[in-house]
Amino acid sequence: MINRLFFGLAAFGILVTGCASNQNENISRLSLIQKRDELICGVSGKIPGFSFIERDGSYKGLDVDICKAFAAAIIGDSEKIQFRPLTAAERFLAIKTGDIDLLSRNTTLTLSRDSFGGNGLTFAPVVFHDGQGLMVKKNSGIVSIQELANKSICVGSGTTTEQNINDTFESLSLPYIPIKYQDLNQVVAGYLQGRCQAMTSDRSQLAAVRSGFKKAKDHIILDDVLSKEPLAPASDGSEQKLADAMRWTVYALITAEELGITQSNIADKVQLAKNNPQLKSLRRFLGVDGGLGEKIGLRNDFVINVIKATGNYGEIYDRNLGRDSDVPIPRGLNEIYSKGGLHISPPFN
Amino acid sequence: MNNINPNLNTNSFIKIKKFLLSKSKYNFCNFIFFVISISLIFNFLTWIFINSNWKVVTSNLNLYAFGSFPPDQQWRPILWFFSLLSITFITVYGPKWNWIRKNLIFGWIGTVPLGIYLLNGGLGLNPVMTRHWGGLTLTILITSCSILFSLPIGILLALCKRSSIFLIQKLSSFYIDVMRAVPLIAVLFFGQLLIPLFLPVGLEIDRVWRAIIAFTFFVSAYIAEDIRGGLQSIPNNQIEAAKSLGLNKYQINIFILIPQALRVALPAITNQLIGLFQNTSLMSILGLMELLGVSRSILANPEFIGQYIEVYIWLASVYWLFCTIMAFVSKKLEQKLTINKGY
Repeated sequence: MINRLFFGLAAFGILVTGCASNQNENISRLSLIQKRDELICGVSGKIPGFSFIERDGSYKGLDVDICKAFAAAIIGDSEKIQFRPLTAAERFLAIKTGDIDLLSRNTTLTLSRDSFGGNGLTFAPVVFHDGQGLMVKKNSGIVSIQELANKSICVGSGTTTEQNINDTFESLSLPYIPIKYQDLNQVVAGYLQGRCQAMTSDRSQLAAVRSGFKKAKDHIILDDVLSKEPLAPASDGSEQKLADAMRWTVYALITAEELGITQSNIADKVQLAKNNPQLKSLRRFLGVDGGLGEKIGLRNDFVINVIKATGNYGEIYDRNLGRDSDVPIPRGLNEIYSKGGLHISPPFN
Repeated sequence: MNNINPNLNTNSFIKIKKFLLSKSKYNFCNFIFFVISISLIFNFLTWIFINSNWKVVTSNLNLYAFGSFPPDQQWRPILWFFSLLSITFITVYGPKWNWIRKNLIFGWIGTVPLGIYLLNGGLGLNPVMTRHWGGLTLTILITSCSILFSLPIGILLALCKRSSIFLIQKLSSFYIDVMRAVPLIAVLFFGQLLIPLFLPVGLEIDRVWRAIIAFTFFVSAYIAEDIRGGLQSIPNNQIEAAKSLGLNKYQINIFILIPQALRVALPAITNQLIGLFQNTSLMSILGLMELLGVSRSILANPEFIGQYIEVYIWLASVYWLFCTIMAFVSKKLEQKLTINKGY
């Protein structure tokens, strides 16, 4: 009898401690990814140029390449990724529930998404500066927003897009006629049927849509930008190690472009850094000395892995959105700072 | 009502008939209708054969069928499709041998584990993660699993709702009423996004399975009501007769009530199942790469931007084909069951 009681108690104790240790085992997301040897990356899967599915079933696009860079930095292999197509509605919940490790799904960085009182995310640096734009037919002669006074503009209703265009025209005291549609496809159809002189949406989407037109050259996207839409990868706000790793991976892409380090010359640059002790900053950046990678939970030479896998930021951009790609979007704000853009990286020190 | 003023009805009817069927107007209407339909058909056909670009369909057939299933393993879903097709064929046109008729039901039930085994791998096959499942394969898998699970649950719920035990009866009515009052999309959202929050740490249900569970919960409530309708159509004296023969409750249910109820409810159940097949397309807005989901991703490929009409016409015809097959099989089953009834 006493024996049985004892065994029962022991079993119960083991169960309790087992549960307790299970809950105390607060393994960081970063080490979880490394242990799993696979990165689960949430993407849209439905945005031309950013993430879409190729004929062979693989994913491609700017957001996808950013995921690959993260996998190369964290795991050391850009192929060990599981892509999870997500809709706008479920993307934040998927991070909260731990369904995905991180989100690279053109998400606009805003205060309420970043804050602990809001969605409780942490954003990596911006990887694409988008903004709302206007598209007009070339032969209309319209080149600036001022000339759209009293013209009709096709817009998706109930969106921030609609709000933004209203705010812009009001602040300029310009009258205009909004023609509202339910979604982007209808806006495009209305615009092509000539129901309005211009249509408005995010500039990246305008460019994507235009690339599907039969005569894409007959349409121009105006230089005016009506809103800021900085798109950035995001992760759970309570996972600082993962956030650090992501932040410095994006900065590494930008710094590599600054330093002229590309996929093709990375091996030479590493050799150069190893042979010349006086190139201090290059040696730190490539992890030859300084031990910077270890400080953010990565290998010291993580930059080399990243550049080998995806190339620098400029290469990623050109591959997916550059002049010769299927969805050409002028770099504009997405140039690095030395060329007049907004992408700048803090020093690797 | 009809007897109050028969003349009025007949007179107005004749007037209308005269107007519509007078020779000249009749011909005129016919002509107009003819011209409109010819021009519609002509425009549609010119679009189909000349103006449209079917490359978006033809060059992505693998994606539509299998999603991103590894190419060297695609014989597995093909084999499964083939087994489904052959059992359908046997059901409809097969010989009327007794052993076939008796074991057909097990054949149908067996296709689901077979499909899961072939897709999932293990036991000698390379394992394939569920995230690689996609396209038509996934659509059919979700449909068939949900059918397999929701039918027994539906029967059970229907019997419980007719139970004389207060608690059981109230619980099952409550479940059925709640499930019918909640929109399907809400149930699916709950399954996809909220179930993981409630599960204990470490326990994880795959998202394909979460979808199947949500569909099962939803459809079984509807099927329960269909079957209850079938049960109610059985005259009470049959039960009394069975009782007098000394059958117990379970025997009455299994040998007398359920077979007849299923036969009566078959058309209504088919309705639900066709609806279920089409509703699986809702999973595309929850990020599963089933037939519609994979199509929307293909449309984002810069190579195929703007070819919505082609893709949606293609999807419509695929869905039409499968729903027609389902309806056809159910019609044949109905005929066979009526013949067996012996009158």
